[in-house]
Amino acid sequence: MRLSSRRQLAPVLFALVIVSAFVPRLPAADDDLKQLRDQIRSLEQKLLVLERKQEIKDDDSATAAKTAPKISITDKGFTLASADSANSIKLRGLVQFDNRLFFGDNGIVNNSFLLRRARLITEGTFAKNFSFQLVPELGGGSATAASAFTILDANLGVAVNKALQFKFGKFKSPVGLELLQSDSWTFFDERSLVTNLVPNRDIGAQASGDLFNGTVNYTAGIFNGIADAATSTNADFDNEKDVVGRIFATPFKNDAGSFLQGLSFGVSASLGREKGASGRTAGYKTDGQQTFFSYAATTIADGQNWRLSPQFDYRNGSFGAIGEYVVSTVNVRPSATGRKAELQNKAWQLAAGYVLTGEDSSFAGVVPKTNFDFANGTWGAFEVVARYANLKIDNAAFPLYASAASNADEATSYGVGLNWYLSKAVAFKFDYYQTNFGFAPGAPALSTNAVLRQDEQSLITRFQVSF
Amino acid sequence: MHDFRLPDRSVLLCLALAVGAVTALADTALLNVSYDVTREFYKDYNPAFAAHWKALTGETVTINQSHGGSAKQARSVLDGLAADVVTMNGAPDIDVLASAGKLIPDDWAKRLPDNSAPSTSTILFLVRKGNPAGIHDWSDLVKPGVSVIIPNPKTSGNGRYSYLAAWGYALRQPGGNEEKARAFVAALFANVPVLDTGGRGATTTFAQRGIGDVLLTFENEVALTVKELGADKLEAVVPSASILAENPVTWVDKVTHKHGTDKVARAYLEYLYSDEGQELAAKHFFRPRNPAVLAKYPDRFPALTLFTVQEVAGGWAAAQKIHFSDGGVFDQIYLKK
Repeated sequence: MRLSSRRQLAPVLFALVIVSAFVPRLPAADDDLKQLRDQIRSLEQKLLVLERKQEIKDDDSATAAKTAPKISITDKGFTLASADSANSIKLRGLVQFDNRLFFGDNGIVNNSFLLRRARLITEGTFAKNFSFQLVPELGGGSATAASAFTILDANLGVAVNKALQFKFGKFKSPVGLELLQSDSWTFFDERSLVTNLVPNRDIGAQASGDLFNGTVNYTAGIFNGIADAATSTNADFDNEKDVVGRIFATPFKNDAGSFLQGLSFGVSASLGREKGASGRTAGYKTDGQQTFFSYAATTIADGQNWRLSPQFDYRNGSFGAIGEYVVSTVNVRPSATGRKAELQNKAWQLAAGYVLTGEDSSFAGVVPKTNFDFANGTWGAFEVVARYANLKIDNAAFPLYASAASNADEATSYGVGLNWYLSKAVAFKFDYYQTNFGFAPGAPALSTNAVLRQDEQSLITRFQVSF
Repeated sequence: MHDFRLPDRSVLLCLALAVGAVTALADTALLNVSYDVTREFYKDYNPAFAAHWKALTGETVTINQSHGGSAKQARSVLDGLAADVVTMNGAPDIDVLASAGKLIPDDWAKRLPDNSAPSTSTILFLVRKGNPAGIHDWSDLVKPGVSVIIPNPKTSGNGRYSYLAAWGYALRQPGGNEEKARAFVAALFANVPVLDTGGRGATTTFAQRGIGDVLLTFENEVALTVKELGADKLEAVVPSASILAENPVTWVDKVTHKHGTDKVARAYLEYLYSDEGQELAAKHFFRPRNPAVLAKYPDRFPALTLFTVQEVAGGWAAAQKIHFSDGGVFDQIYLKK
């Protein structure tokens, strides 16, 4: 505005100066000349004042903007933040609506719609370095279990610096790689068989941080301790604690252009002791979320458990892959006084995806170059995915600790899928799974568990909103 | 594999100790929230104090500065700007920290000598070389066609002092009274084409942007501007009388308690009264309180009649209420352009 107004008046001023310079020096003309000069000076001052007022107004606006609270509404959530961003509160959400179809099962498993997850997530920071997260689960979670309100995550963080950050409360135990990935951004709408062998959300305290220019991430924590695939119910059933550690390296992270830049690998482990029925797993599930193995009701955990999980993630342009192996060891008794045995269950998975529309594959989800907009002829992003996974139960579990007649001792899963990202926040996922079962020696030809009498074939379609 | 047992309490204790150890590693730092035209003074004073403190205690102290219109600065502190010390140009901008913020005690002015004001100043005129508008005293500022630059009295201590100086001058004229003073100040501000929020902004308006015939500002700003732009472009005019501007300082108790900087903050302000602090004040054209130091620079601080805010307006509280509060005399007389 300042420049434009000056440009508009500049020719006028210039013309007045030129005219005044060539006017003949007559007495009457001298008066006119003085008047003209005074007018020019007056006009110039007015112009300068106008410019300065605008300048002050701009400065005031900039200053006000520096102190004004920030409101941000994006497909990553709604954020209210102080001007310096040191204090903020963010509202996010996740809703996953599924349709689950099972084939060749003679109607054993209900085909159903399912509200898989429904979460209103609240996160915040105070004084820049202190944070909190609260995640209630309002969805059903399972096609067979009734919906129940639970607090999934509730934790507080203290960030000393990038290399040292503390977290206290309830949150994901840092063992399983795919488990640590957001529910929204896994290749498939259900995590693989491997996730059966790692703890889910537990209560405890952990330290973590990035080292060596962000190429190494470490996590070390102490937790109440929970069984495979379990989530803490906010209670501890014994005096023992689990220690959990994980180290994960991205050694070529800063080598721009290297085909290894997106390679991350590491290992995680947990060690602890569990006691009682709550210390053993409630069961292992297929991709279709049917239970294919569970211990006998009388079996209890009693003694040391440990897990070890080498894992990797690789991203290169539109291609992504994830792999992990888990061995989970538990000590169990068939009853309070029965013979104690150490059982070792193992699982692994390899999954990969390719974004057909050219966007980058990412551990944090695919961001379409253009959102789906039918009127404008844009379609979002499409990704094809494939997975192989296997879980093997220790044969020593049968028959004393688990029934060979009603359980499988092995599950092998194949999955293929198509993900359609309508936007960063909205996606459809179409996944087909086949899970083949193996049985322990001595198992009857026809399992007493109707779910296991045939291999599982399922098509799970998900509509997801995540922000 | 051997069984492993973890003494859970000891691990949690270790975590707590780790947090404590890391957070104990912070440096000592002070934030000095000041008004607009003290930048150059504190650039000299802060290293001098840091060296003094280092020699005295062995501790390293870092002093950070924030500058702006004094009333705006006070508002920022009230709104949460964590000032360890405030160094303003008028008591109202510190009083408000006691009355509205409860950040300091009401009797803060008694904590250091001379009403906690280690230096003073006054309002002088700065005109263009040769004084083409013929400005010699306050009465020249209200003549038609004279363009006067003054910062906004509602956001700037500089502006408040200029306003009160004009008011006081009018009151002290033969037959002067409040009605005439009001008319005089109204005529003065009718000649003000633009209001900056602070003293430094007003200097920019006058000296850099070339607006106006005369700038009213603190004595040190007049000297600094002439020095920077050259005596061939600008010159100072000393009117017959002006106002005594005290530059009060205090530490902000609530912040220093929280930061653990009570001792160093107090020492930082007390050092302003030392010989070195007073000499630095004089160097930057702030009138030192120490008579011996003041007497050393008669050419730097010309003699003129100085009247106080108390004499002109019955004190800062009354001046604030009557003249500068919303709907006060200034709001009534100043017609936005």
